[in-house]
Amino acid sequence: MQIFLSNLYKMDMISFINWDLILGDGLIITVIGYLIVFIALVLLTLVFNLIPKILKMQISRTPRKKGLPETLNTARKEIPGEVNAAIGTALFMFFNEMHDAEDPVITIKRISKNYTPWSSKIYGVTRGLNRRF
Amino acid sequence: MRKLLTVVGIIAILSLLRLTFVSADQQSAAGPEAKTEIAVKNLAPMQESMTKEPAGALRGIENFVRYTGFANLTIGHVVMLLVGLFFIIIAIRYNYEPLLLIPIGTGILIGNIPFVSGFQVGIYEEGSVMNYLYYGVVKGIYPPLIFLGIGAMTDFTSLISNPKLMLLGAAAQIGIFLTFLGALMLGFAPPEAGAIGIIGGADGPTAIFISSRLANGINILPDGTTVRNLIGPIAIAAYSYMALVPVIQPPIMKLLVSRKERLIRMKPPRTVSKTEKMMFPIIGLLLTGFISPNSLPLLGMLFFGNLLKESTRTNRLSETARNSLIDIVTILLGITVGASTQADVFLTPDSLLIFALGAISFMIATAGGLLFAKAMNIFLKDEDRLNPLIGAAGVSAVPDSARVVQHEGLKADPTNHLLMHAMAPNVAGVLGSAVAAGILLSFLL
Repeated sequence: MQIFLSNLYKMDMISFINWDLILGDGLIITVIGYLIVFIALVLLTLVFNLIPKILKMQISRTPRKKGLPETLNTARKEIPGEVNAAIGTALFMFFNEMHDAEDPVITIKRISKNYTPWSSKIYGVTRGLNRRF
Repeated sequence: MRKLLTVVGIIAILSLLRLTFVSADQQSAAGPEAKTEIAVKNLAPMQESMTKEPAGALRGIENFVRYTGFANLTIGHVVMLLVGLFFIIIAIRYNYEPLLLIPIGTGILIGNIPFVSGFQVGIYEEGSVMNYLYYGVVKGIYPPLIFLGIGAMTDFTSLISNPKLMLLGAAAQIGIFLTFLGALMLGFAPPEAGAIGIIGGADGPTAIFISSRLANGINILPDGTTVRNLIGPIAIAAYSYMALVPVIQPPIMKLLVSRKERLIRMKPPRTVSKTEKMMFPIIGLLLTGFISPNSLPLLGMLFFGNLLKESTRTNRLSETARNSLIDIVTILLGITVGASTQADVFLTPDSLLIFALGAISFMIATAGGLLFAKAMNIFLKDEDRLNPLIGAAGVSAVPDSARVVQHEGLKADPTNHLLMHAMAPNVAGVLGSAVAAGILLSFLL
């Protein structure tokens, strides 16, 4: 470390660095800036730790207010992620199977072409040109 | 009758053409005074050549050769063209951030084909098409639009389900502030140092936004000097390191996280209600906006985009924001940032220092996130313990750093999926870096 510092002195690096600026404003901006970032995200953390609790309290009060039995609450409780995944997989498999069970008979539908002046040869725009040249 | 009209028309056109050429010939014969009337500025080489003797086709060929890229090629251009090609190759061959590196790489090629100035071709020439497009970078228009798109495509569920992971996003911002100190040490002015430090936020749009405000080559410092224009090097460094996340982060993870810690399994995230998802952007906007109003252009658009998505009432708008809009802005941003690396402006010792500081910044940010996750584990119950690897995702670089965490987690235990958990600090990192950017702006502008 001493060798490193003495080398820096030799290269005039120590005097080149503006220590006043770094240890003054630089350090203040670093410490305060980092603290503010932390405070902002800590506040968000606290708010979002509280919100589910507030929402839960509201949910559990609603049936009581309406005079409904407490058992209704169970239906509104959160479903664990694994159950959601299982439901998703089951639906995926079900719809995949439905695709397999589709009718294998391929038919060609005959479409009758009714007359329309848009497809008429009599009223075509090139008719006049063809006649002239 | 019709044939007659056609013949008369052709004769009229031919006579008009003849008149035009004759008048041009007369003008050129009238001497140098007449030539100056041609509305082309700074065409010194052309005027020089016109006053010289060789006339006609020979003069034209001489001019043509003088204006080709080959005649004006310098070693700097060659270096930058190789860099552009390198970006394109790693994007196509190794699939490293192709959506960013192909536009940037092509932009570097466009910006470094040598040309004679004065034809409104270069990105720094007023009136050129590229200059108009570059306006969106210089004035910080593109970054908020990118943030709008990011907001509309980001799912904050994992963060809402485990809000304490937000702290990892804050911890990783240490890279920004320590690099700011480092840049001051290397002699950069405070606003320039702030813009360089933001590379550690691993967020390209934020880096461009801050550098367009702090290191734009326009602002005047208290000592009367003008800040340097560092937008190009900072943007290129930020995007390059974002693309190199899979290379930079794993060694630091291996160094700081033991095998035992890498095996930690985290609790699956809880289900998040729609109400919570809708409340997040509104509360987030109000809270972060009041704390750091200077970050509003970024965070305001981010949360607006997220509200478009989560409200479920504005599907058309959120679809546009997360697909067409962000694609258009990414193309414009990539090509202009790439083209801004013109060799004469870009290849300076400052750019090399910025690249070095950027790399250090990324490493510090990664280490900060990892170490903070380890520190959090000391205070958490056994069932709530975090896999420290997810701390590395605290540097934003969405979603690359989360992908790296997942990859490294799977290496340790092929059944331990960390992607969902890592997405939480990852998006928190976006918030953290935007807040840090706002703070730096308020201190240094």
